[in-house]
Amino acid sequence: MSRASQRKRSRREVATGLLFLAPNILGFLAFTLLPLVLSLLLAFSNWDLRLHNMFRDEPLKFVGLDNFSRLLSSDDFWKYMGNTLFLMMAIPFSIAGSLLAAVLLSQDLDGGSCRSKWLLVVGAVFVSGVGILAMLGAGVAAMTLLIGGVVGLILTGGTMGGSTVYRTLFYMPHFCAGVATYILWKKLYSPYSGPINAVLSPVLDNVSSAVNSLPPGVVQAGLWLAVLLVIVLFAFGYYRLFDWWRQGDLGQIGLLIAVVLLTIPIATGWNWLPVLAAGVLLLAVAGLLFAGLILGLLFGDRPFKASADEGLGGAMIFSAVLMVGMFVLIGLGSVMHHLPEMATDNGLEPPQWLSDPAWAKPALMIMALWAAVGSNNMLLYLAGLSNVPGELYEAASIDGAGRFAKFWHVTWPQLAPITFFIVVMSMIYGLQGGFEMARTMTQGGPAGATTTLSYYVYTEGFETGRLGYAAAITWTLFGLVFVITMFNWKFGNRFVND
Amino acid sequence: MGVSLLHLLLVALSLTMVLPFIWMVLTSLKPINEVGLDTWLPSELRWENYKPLLRLEWLEGLWNQWFGTNLIVLNEEQEAQGISYARWYWNSVFVASCVTYLQVVTSSMAAFSFSRLKWPGRDKVFFLYLGTMMLPMLVMMIPNYQVMISLGLVDTYWGLILPAAFSAFGTFLLRQFMLTIPGSLDEAALIDGASKWRLFWDVILPLSRPGLITLTIFTFIGNFHSFFWPLVMLKSTHRYTLPVGLLYFDSSSGQQTNVLMAAITLSVVPMLILFVVLQKYLVKGIQLGAVKG
Repeated sequence: MSRASQRKRSRREVATGLLFLAPNILGFLAFTLLPLVLSLLLAFSNWDLRLHNMFRDEPLKFVGLDNFSRLLSSDDFWKYMGNTLFLMMAIPFSIAGSLLAAVLLSQDLDGGSCRSKWLLVVGAVFVSGVGILAMLGAGVAAMTLLIGGVVGLILTGGTMGGSTVYRTLFYMPHFCAGVATYILWKKLYSPYSGPINAVLSPVLDNVSSAVNSLPPGVVQAGLWLAVLLVIVLFAFGYYRLFDWWRQGDLGQIGLLIAVVLLTIPIATGWNWLPVLAAGVLLLAVAGLLFAGLILGLLFGDRPFKASADEGLGGAMIFSAVLMVGMFVLIGLGSVMHHLPEMATDNGLEPPQWLSDPAWAKPALMIMALWAAVGSNNMLLYLAGLSNVPGELYEAASIDGAGRFAKFWHVTWPQLAPITFFIVVMSMIYGLQGGFEMARTMTQGGPAGATTTLSYYVYTEGFETGRLGYAAAITWTLFGLVFVITMFNWKFGNRFVND
Repeated sequence: MGVSLLHLLLVALSLTMVLPFIWMVLTSLKPINEVGLDTWLPSELRWENYKPLLRLEWLEGLWNQWFGTNLIVLNEEQEAQGISYARWYWNSVFVASCVTYLQVVTSSMAAFSFSRLKWPGRDKVFFLYLGTMMLPMLVMMIPNYQVMISLGLVDTYWGLILPAAFSAFGTFLLRQFMLTIPGSLDEAALIDGASKWRLFWDVILPLSRPGLITLTIFTFIGNFHSFFWPLVMLKSTHRYTLPVGLLYFDSSSGQQTNVLMAAITLSVVPMLILFVVLQKYLVKGIQLGAVKG
């Protein structure tokens, strides 16, 4: 083949290739690439719809990094960043929930047809009993009957249809999640007419009478128990990290960052805890840190050495999970501390949920958890579980491993790549999330307690009209996402291949 | 773990997932004065709550416009407000269908080009595509809104459809799928004298059917739920899509919890049915999409 004809052929190939690409690439250029370039320009300009409109036309200026420096020095930005990170603390719980759901679903539900027939009968009896009583007019017991009937229906369905029925029910909230379910939850959370508080207030009345009948010291002991557990969690994390470092699975940088992460909940503890408890916590942790260093120096034989950045990703995720646990414990401890004084006045009141700055974020997190347990993550885990080779379980059984040991030594390591993927994706979406919830349920309030970064972009860019500033926020957001993605690329594979 | 205990756990979890929906349906059938009561069961089933949502005056209004016969005359308030749930529903279905159609067509062609045709620079262009998937949608939204203003597309259906119609994700998903189709088929078809278009249309597309179905479902559902962009783009109530309309409904008549719940029930139930029918494809598609890691 001559050179000319070859060139002609390759030109024709490019032409066909581009022809097929054309419809997509034109749209891509117009609605992705062009806005991308514009957005970058915007972020460095002072374009503000309040300055540049049909009545008032001040010159559009290039302002350099002005938007970014204003952003990073504004209290609002850091507050909303804090909100976003706070809401992201639900991620470990939802991942754990998805994993639990997937493990339950992947069990053998049949267990011999005799047993399942028995379950079927129980379910059917429930349903028909409810039906008969409903026809006779059930009256007061109607609610109990309703719940009983639903349980019976689910049980019957589950016994006949197996895990598919349960999986469908688990997945429903995620599938419908959106404005409709958020409005639904807003009504569920309604403080005086919502069903959640209707269930909670009699429970809380009982709790408050129980608290009042106990000597105050017993409840206070709960605070100290929480403090003790935080210390134990910290010690556990610290010990594990050092152990990994000693065995060469973790480098110095990873060790340092992970330990610093572990101390964050302790350092912020004095915000919530009484001075004495926070002081004890700080002292204990400082002591542990110090003791660890001394012991490390004295008996620090390191049979293996790792490069400085080895194992960073895994260690950070480990620390982050412990961090969330410590935050929860500190929160519980703080509740325990205030319980007696809250209970004595009028009895315990159920929270105001979305209209209380302290409860609005937890309320959103509970709802997000409800939607996230049966989400795509559960389906990914299900697929992963069906791919775990059966021989591994058999080998573990021969070695005499129990149910828990099998999970910890076979299932969990086999699922590590999926877990890592889910964690990274959840973090990326979490950073950009919260807009729909904030817009439909709380308007970012109360007092900015639920304003996330994405909602901030909306208010600045589309309500106030500060386009340049809003673009700067989006690029900052992109920076965070970029860091996480790079992090994933650099450290992810190593962690997964362990 | 005994089987009974397992079922017990699963039922408890399922109950948590289902209870909010049960409350929703039951509340939608209550008279308004029973809404805040402890019992969830309505004393009588009030199907009338659904009536204002299902009224079809807007359809008859269209009929009037086109055929000039007066089936029903809208009063001024209805005309001005244009609050019609059925209309919002239709808007959502219409926009989501258009986006889905365009996306499947353009993505499948692009995926064909990226996976079955060889041309210099192909992989570089593909990685550029892939790179933009990492960008938060928010980055594009502010300038895109200005683009829409200058094109005069604010508050139109086109303004919703066009930016969503060209997706890097769809191209990526279909490319991954097409790569699994054996290359010997191409050669056989080309030896038989088929053009590239015939190859695409008669060989590759039919074989990619599961991938196309998955993309169709994802795109349709995603755009049906889409909220941020329609919220900023749409100004007139009669063009609202369902999520924006629900928000409007919540702020205008949110006190009528029973009617609001009826509206939500009507928006959620078709989704549930769709999911139960299509879950086989969905589950497979999600698991396929993650293989990429």
